[in-house]
Amino acid sequence: MSDTRPQGQPDEAMVDLLIKQVTEGLSPAEQRALDVLDTELASAYRRDLERAAAAVTLAGSAGQPPPPSDLAERLAKQAADHFAANAARTLAPEKASVPARTRNSFGAYGGWLAAAACLVLAIFAWERSPPAIAPPAVAPIAVVTPPPAPVVAPEKPLPTPAEERAALLAKSDSLKISLGATKDPAAAGVTGDVVWDPATQRGFLHFTGLAANDPAVHQYQIWIFDAGRDKRYPVDGGVFDVPANAGDVVIPIRAALMVRKPAAFAVTVEKPGGAVVSGREHVVALGAIT
Amino acid sequence: MLQRIASGDPAAVRECIDQYGPLVWSIARRLSRTPSDAEDATQEIFLDIWRSAGRFDASQGSDKVFIAMIARRRLIDRLRKTSAEPPMDPVESLESVAWADPGTSSETSIEADQAARALAELRPEHRQVLELGLLHGLSQSEIAARLSMPLGTVKSFMRRGLIRVREFMNVDAKRVLSEG
Repeated sequence: MSDTRPQGQPDEAMVDLLIKQVTEGLSPAEQRALDVLDTELASAYRRDLERAAAAVTLAGSAGQPPPPSDLAERLAKQAADHFAANAARTLAPEKASVPARTRNSFGAYGGWLAAAACLVLAIFAWERSPPAIAPPAVAPIAVVTPPPAPVVAPEKPLPTPAEERAALLAKSDSLKISLGATKDPAAAGVTGDVVWDPATQRGFLHFTGLAANDPAVHQYQIWIFDAGRDKRYPVDGGVFDVPANAGDVVIPIRAALMVRKPAAFAVTVEKPGGAVVSGREHVVALGAIT
Repeated sequence: MLQRIASGDPAAVRECIDQYGPLVWSIARRLSRTPSDAEDATQEIFLDIWRSAGRFDASQGSDKVFIAMIARRRLIDRLRKTSAEPPMDPVESLESVAWADPGTSSETSIEADQAARALAELRPEHRQVLELGLLHGLSQSEIAARLSMPLGTVKSFMRRGLIRVREFMNVDAKRVLSEG
């Protein structure tokens, strides 16, 4: 093991923050304090502490039982889906779809019913406070999803998001949810739906009529309300943009967390990059599973 | 194995689940609020492993430590998000820990053996604080409440204990290198 670590020792305050970070996590204020102090030395020290904490964990985890068999099966299936999706992405062209980008983390959970109720309240509140977003396209005729571009294996083009959505719709165990538009100007004339496969955790948002957005100002974000996870916050389904003159749009949903019991889907307007926890001030579409 | 996983080898993926499933599951059960949380966490941890396998560097430690680090990061993140909720079980019902015997746990990993030897040298109260914090996922405040100990003392014990393990591992690594 080559030792290229920086020389010296971090001070006690930094060590205490680093230890708290690797044992229980930091509050936002503590994280900001550490960010100010953070140096190459702190990073090296953090790695050492993480290794030490992991080693202690290993020392205290001998002789444990295997996971339940159904969980092991889910792990195997999830792995197969993950690597299949990776393989598809490797082969896919850069601009084969309008991507939805996910965030890594999410806030604490609360009752999804309460959250859905808040969402409905937000819809009414929003009617009096429309978001600053471009008006809907007057004559949306373009199809955002481009035709399949040349791929590595030209004799078998990769499916477009629209084709993948159609395949998912054909599955008997997939869920289809109609989306209702709010009265926000950005949502005027919006019609759409969501198809979601609980088994593979894959899904697609499909709509027409949603206003174009300026990604430097706002982006759209998908949210999944999970009755299985319950409580206050929905799962992030990724952010996306709508170009001008967009027509029929299909967006892959990329859930940041496992969705056990999907109960509702929503689309909000958020700051660029999306939100970890939505303020739900700007809801443009909402659909619940009945 | 992790390098094979990074290249998408399905056999390595299956091998990883079989070999490390019990480890991840045991860590997840201890550091989760409910059994269903533990199942969700285990799935998220394995997804993290698939995504991170390409970054594994054998010169920095064993694959077991790499996986335990990934598991701990994910579980700490989840615990923080649910910190407002009370734990499912009262602290009195925490599972007892079977520490590896120093010198006999090499089949587990070199690092686990190093940690076990370092822990054996610690004062019992330092070891207890490490156990509650690292193996049961209690925060320093929760440990202080459980042990009726000032928070500053808990911080001090945690700091001394973890630094001692870190020093032991670094010294031991240098000894192994010099002997090798």
